[in-house]
Amino acid sequence: MRGERVLYSIFSVAIALTALLILYPAYHALELSFQDLDSFISKPVWIGFGNYADVLAMPEFWNALGRGLVFSGTTIALQIVLGIGFAMLLDTAIPAKPLVRGITVLPYLLPTIIVALTFQWMLDSTVGVFTQFVRLFGYSYIPWGESGTVAMTVVIVLSVWIWTPFVTLAFLAGLQAVPGELYEAARVDGASAWQRFWHITMPQLRPVLTVVLLLRAIWMFNKFDIIWLTTRGGPLQATEHLPILAYRKTFEMYEVGQGAAVSAISFVILSVLILFYFYFFPLDEKE
Amino acid sequence: MSKAKDFKSKRLSADLAGTTGGGSSRRTVIKGIGAAAGAAAIGLHAPFVHAAEKTIRFLNGEPSRESVRAMRFAGAQYEKETGIKVQMDTIPAGKAFEKVQASIKSGRPYDIATLIFVGDVLILADEKKLVPINDLIKKYDWGPRILFPVKGNNYWYPYDYNLCWINCRQDLYDAKGLKAPQNWDGMMSNLDALQGTGENQLPHGIVHPIGSNGATNYTAFGYMWANGVELFDDNWNVVLDSPEMAAKVGEYLDFMSAMTKYMPPAPAQAGWANLVGDFQTDKISHTPGTGRLIDTMNVRMPKRAANVGTFLFPSKGGDKFAVNHGYDGWVVLDTAMTDEALKFLEWFSDEHLINFLHTSPVHYQPTRLDIYEDPRWQAHPDLEQFKHITEMQKQVLSDKDIIIRSIDTEGPEVDVRAGKVFRSYALPEMLQNKMVRNMSNAECIKTAADKIRATVAG
Repeated sequence: MRGERVLYSIFSVAIALTALLILYPAYHALELSFQDLDSFISKPVWIGFGNYADVLAMPEFWNALGRGLVFSGTTIALQIVLGIGFAMLLDTAIPAKPLVRGITVLPYLLPTIIVALTFQWMLDSTVGVFTQFVRLFGYSYIPWGESGTVAMTVVIVLSVWIWTPFVTLAFLAGLQAVPGELYEAARVDGASAWQRFWHITMPQLRPVLTVVLLLRAIWMFNKFDIIWLTTRGGPLQATEHLPILAYRKTFEMYEVGQGAAVSAISFVILSVLILFYFYFFPLDEKE
Repeated sequence: MSKAKDFKSKRLSADLAGTTGGGSSRRTVIKGIGAAAGAAAIGLHAPFVHAAEKTIRFLNGEPSRESVRAMRFAGAQYEKETGIKVQMDTIPAGKAFEKVQASIKSGRPYDIATLIFVGDVLILADEKKLVPINDLIKKYDWGPRILFPVKGNNYWYPYDYNLCWINCRQDLYDAKGLKAPQNWDGMMSNLDALQGTGENQLPHGIVHPIGSNGATNYTAFGYMWANGVELFDDNWNVVLDSPEMAAKVGEYLDFMSAMTKYMPPAPAQAGWANLVGDFQTDKISHTPGTGRLIDTMNVRMPKRAANVGTFLFPSKGGDKFAVNHGYDGWVVLDTAMTDEALKFLEWFSDEHLINFLHTSPVHYQPTRLDIYEDPRWQAHPDLEQFKHITEMQKQVLSDKDIIIRSIDTEGPEVDVRAGKVFRSYALPEMLQNKMVRNMSNAECIKTAADKIRATVAG
């Protein structure tokens, strides 16, 4: 009875904090999306779905959505593939295993701002390390501030570099839970390495994969910092996705209502995608 | 029990006995205690109590160590003289408007705040969050294009012009016998003379960022203003692509494009760091910027700072010159401490503003004309050393042929629309379309004008 009371108390605190720090701000953002206002202190004018109509009619919204899907889709795919690969490598008998595992996690521990600034200087068109490197091959510099494709590639590579260690760690933990007997039996049955990977490793990793994929999808679709700090959405909006569009509308363009509408639509899109995801890949295997 | 406690206890008992003994009921006593507690609670908010704890909350937007120190010193001095505390919060000026909004929404607005966009001032004034400071403004003579009144009222106290001009290596100019360029041909010729691997030459001539960022908005359009370009007519119609303006903008785009060969590679990737760093490390002979460059160099490399020359952005034909406008100022918010804040601002303006300006003497170009004649301001050794620059600054304020413009102050009057254009990066994109995508002038100008129209329509 006393245990239950403690449990309910902790649960209540969690609910209260969620309501205060997540539900109320989300409600407020939703409320703003139905209002016309220049700033957070302006007198709001209720305009119903006016902001939504305006936002959905803007080509920049659809372009930003497309870029967001390209950015998140590519980074997630690369993180998963590389994460599984690195996890399998780290699960084998390599020399100085604890040290190598520790080093693998390093990019994930670095603050994003440090990574962004460091890469900017490494890509600097005059003194950057990468610039010196590509000069060996006859190129003068990497045009990440001029070509949209190169800029998008740069932010994707950066994102993969920073967040692949998280995926690696998750899969490494999953791999260590796979019983060795399964591989022994498969070897006895003459299964090739690929067959062992596809028929034993992957099914065993499926619960981890489901969760990691979900988390990475949410994080990468909403990822703001690395793009903002590296390219600020440029050049010529080539890396501007929905979070950056929402920020620019709200904090730079004096269009708070439209910025909130972009955020709300982004939230709805992500929620629908997650619902579909849960439908096709339910987390509870027992059901 | 100590004697004091014993005395208190006896006295309380006696009081209670007296009260109850006087025929009052228990209810009366409780009511009395309640009333006393209520009165005490109200008393906590009584003005005389507050008077002893008055605090002016000041949002400072100048985060350099010297500026913060000067502000804090002034605050401490004010507290010593008046008993009123000045609590200083410091934030990069670019984030000040967000912080001011948050303070208002949280119910604890700042009493004085730094702002760097007139659009922000206008929004706050329209929402009646600011108080006019007309009387304070009337006390002084001001330079041109700096007060930005809103509907006849002055809501802000500008403290510096923050003008952007071209800095150059005067030692190389002297060695090569060059003069400050009077037109675009002269500029090209100087860049050409100083670029190379020979004696008195550097690898590149100049850097002009063209990416979608504040550095481009601030440093790349001086030549365009000098060439007589305006973005709006008197009715806020976009005239950038009108036949008259399009011709001038086209000339500007061709000029910027032609300057590419004197720039380090990838100007679209350049930013503030390149403007300062490339100049200080002998990669370029010219860089656009403010007096901040000179102040910074004067601390770290004084000999090199002494070799910095300056000139204004010339027009194509040399008939006009321009500087790009920066400006910073303070506003007084409508709070319970407004009267005190106004008194403090006036005191600061008379007693400590010059000390504050001296924390970056060449950069903080005074907005008040009387300061230029004030011996206290003139007494700073750096201002004597860089007299050629301060003379140029003064000339900018008095010479009618020198244009002071910026994207965010364009238009017939102060308006948020110009601020939106600044942040839409329509003009930097025009440069990128020309210099990176090689689009025709007509296409670049039309694309920019259409984006500005869409932005101001809103």
